[in-house]
Amino acid sequence: MGRTIKIDPVSRIEGHAHITLHLDDAGNIDDAKFHLTQFRGFEKFCEGRPFPEMPALTARTCGICPVSHLVASSKACDHLLSVTIPPTAVNLRRVMNLAQLIQSHALSYFHLSSADLLLGMDSDPKSRNLFGLLKVDPQLAKDGIRLRQIGQTVIEMLGGKKIHPGWMVPGGVSGPLSEDSRTAMLAMIPEGLDIAERTFESFKDLIGKFPEEIQHFGNFPTMFLSLITPRGGLEHYDGFFRIKDADGKIVDDMVPLEEYQRIIGEAVEPYSYMKFPYYLPMGYPDGIYRVGPLARLNNCDFCGTKQADQALDEFRALQHDRPVSSSFHFHFARLVEIIFALERMKELLESPHILDTRVRARARGNNDEGIGVAEAPRGTLIHHYKTDDDGLITWANLIIATGHNNLAMNRGIKQAAEHFVDGNHLQEGMLNRVEAVIRCFDPCLSCASHAFGQMPLRIELHDSRGNVVDQMVR
Amino acid sequence: MSEAHKITLATAWLDGCSGCHMSFLDLDQRLIELAEKVDVVYSPIVDTKELPPVVDVGILEGAVSTEEDLHKARMFRGRCQFLISLGDCAVSGNVPSMRNTFDLDDVLDRAFVENVQAQPGRPSESLPTLLRTVLPIHHVVQVDLFVQGCPPSADTIWQVLTELMAGNTPDPTQFTRFGA
Amino acid sequence: MTHPPAATNPAPKVRVVTLKIDDHDVGARETDSILEIAQANGIRIPSLCYLDGLSTWGACRLCMVEIEGFSKPVSACSTTATEGMKITTNSARLKRYRRMILELLFAERNHVCSVCVSNGHCELQDLAAECGMDHVRVPYRNATYTIDSSHDLFRVDHNRCVVCTRCVRVCDEIEGAHTWDVMGRGVNCQVITDLNQPWGDSQSCTSCGKCVQVCPTGALVKKGTAAGEMEKHDDFVPYLAQMRKRQ
Repeated sequence: MGRTIKIDPVSRIEGHAHITLHLDDAGNIDDAKFHLTQFRGFEKFCEGRPFPEMPALTARTCGICPVSHLVASSKACDHLLSVTIPPTAVNLRRVMNLAQLIQSHALSYFHLSSADLLLGMDSDPKSRNLFGLLKVDPQLAKDGIRLRQIGQTVIEMLGGKKIHPGWMVPGGVSGPLSEDSRTAMLAMIPEGLDIAERTFESFKDLIGKFPEEIQHFGNFPTMFLSLITPRGGLEHYDGFFRIKDADGKIVDDMVPLEEYQRIIGEAVEPYSYMKFPYYLPMGYPDGIYRVGPLARLNNCDFCGTKQADQALDEFRALQHDRPVSSSFHFHFARLVEIIFALERMKELLESPHILDTRVRARARGNNDEGIGVAEAPRGTLIHHYKTDDDGLITWANLIIATGHNNLAMNRGIKQAAEHFVDGNHLQEGMLNRVEAVIRCFDPCLSCASHAFGQMPLRIELHDSRGNVVDQMVR
Repeated sequence: MSEAHKITLATAWLDGCSGCHMSFLDLDQRLIELAEKVDVVYSPIVDTKELPPVVDVGILEGAVSTEEDLHKARMFRGRCQFLISLGDCAVSGNVPSMRNTFDLDDVLDRAFVENVQAQPGRPSESLPTLLRTVLPIHHVVQVDLFVQGCPPSADTIWQVLTELMAGNTPDPTQFTRFGA
Repeated sequence: MTHPPAATNPAPKVRVVTLKIDDHDVGARETDSILEIAQANGIRIPSLCYLDGLSTWGACRLCMVEIEGFSKPVSACSTTATEGMKITTNSARLKRYRRMILELLFAERNHVCSVCVSNGHCELQDLAAECGMDHVRVPYRNATYTIDSSHDLFRVDHNRCVVCTRCVRVCDEIEGAHTWDVMGRGVNCQVITDLNQPWGDSQSCTSCGKCVQVCPTGALVKKGTAAGEMEKHDDFVPYLAQMRKRQ
């Protein structure tokens, strides 16, 4: 009977979780488990609701990426309506989705993770946060605040609110873009790009300080799942599924979004309220894959915008012959995507028809089943609904971006724990590294808790009789 | 103002979507001003994980839906001089409470048995027990201030905090409402 | 629409009375209700089941006022003015009562404002804000209610119904169809279409939509509306009521 170290809660992530590290008698890591401790049950309590309410309802899954849920849900509802929505509506939805990508990635990098990178993994936990960062590197902290604000402001201009906007509805969007809003949005983009480029450059300087972390933060072969455009480009709103293996070989390509059930299965483990999606043809748990910014950049052939494509080249250079395998580089990929999102948003806002007033297709329910898929900041998000003849939801399945990474997060913390944690001589910084692996994945656990803490971090080492032999509290 | 005189603030999320905390972060540049007056001693956005024994202001987001939430709500009430219930989930149960009209077993089975292709079964190992009924925070502990909204806007949160820092008791109904 | 055409038959002579509402001296016809007098003089009394143009129901009790010399409050909508009345509309006791009524309304059904189609356009939500009802102290019932979405154009969601019966009255008194009625007693009280048949099967419903427009909450709505999109317009009611009287 070995001992258990409990990291509770994992902090500076979005949601409720704890980690248990299971040690053998010699004090070596035997197993590591990531426990999601919240469960809400959207898949059931949506039952009976009218489908046009689903975008706003399912958006409450998450306060960081409500827009992702709006997109996936609205697309599932478009499918229920059986309509092709006006092209301007598609582009406006894309703008909001990109704005969210910017704010969410900014939050993950600046507000949650940069304290580890700038202040150090072993720095004083009392000031290892955004406020501590404000003292040590005020420019970076202010950049982060501003970048996130730019994303949030675009969302507000479109949807009336920064968090849980309405506006995205079955059939399109509820109102067109005003000339004034377009002008104001475009005016913020150069500033955003300056911040994004500046941060990207400073991050590249930083990574030299973290060779061990890069080597041991969830660095192992897995497949990657993401959406791509019909031409193989970086995509966040629509397109097709692509799955690549660790060697860069395409395993499955151009899979229509409606066929997700052919490639994705979900498993349950008794120790988490978060499910474990896997690549169905390979079975569980062999069908392990990762999603999110790292997967999207590994999978796509190109970004499609100038500065982002240059940054993509630098990303590829991290691991020449194959996809980038270290989960540490989720951060790298995130910064590339911020650049892309700003550039792409500019293109969309400058397109001639973006102010068109025809932005909503009106129809009643014409299908009794609808599937909507999009790329959330953290990865591929799937909403699948069935309705009765009167348009009331009878069944719902949500596969959440963070969930896809569940297998990889569990394996990632085990790898980091094996390398950094000495079960006989615990130090706070060791455990912070285990948490930092999770931060790389930027999990969105309130999403995953469609199934989501804050308890003191108390680490106890028990001997085989259950007696506490060592403990620490932070 | 010296460090010693800073107001201490603790925040936590229970069963919610974290949107209220995100709205707090939407204070943006005002966060810098806040940091001069307030010491965030415990929060999901910082690493200090032990809730201090005495805290000036506590903010709870989300409804009470697990044994762990219940424990946290009681701990906050016990240690915070002034406890704020932030957002509709905390104040009314909101969306999380929508599961209350279903049987919990059915809710769990939809997620972990019906919609699953491998190893179906209800998780329970090292996990907090779910309460049969999701409750607003004030139904389990006494709350001093209610701030509605889904989420309350950053301006609302700023109004509430600045009033409190000035030593006044704010009236959030003047600038927010259920569903705002 | 506030000034409908004069009736062809001269109305019977009514006396004019003077009274005091919250220290305002006001004059009114003796047939006028306190609520009508207050509204005509720009004095706000919260109300929910009352709607200008429909018969008075007096059920929601939100418009309770105090009259000097009366030990119990009375409903302003169903009490007519008399000479020399002294009325208080907003005492501490009335505020307390109104707040409790609103808490009970919120606890009875399943009102989730944030995701409601009427979010931002709901009388119940506005009343909660107006009356300072910032949380519900009583336990929520969490009772299961169904949604009837069988009608081609409209939907009824009993989770959001406050049983004000405006729909029943407008359907009967203005449209003349009497599709809507009420069944059950106490907490089991519920609005129904025809003899509690699916709305879509109703033989009497003319699909005029008046019930939807007068519904104060998101209970009766147009189909296809997403959260926050259901805005109601009930200002046609007094005009139609006047026109019906002329016929």
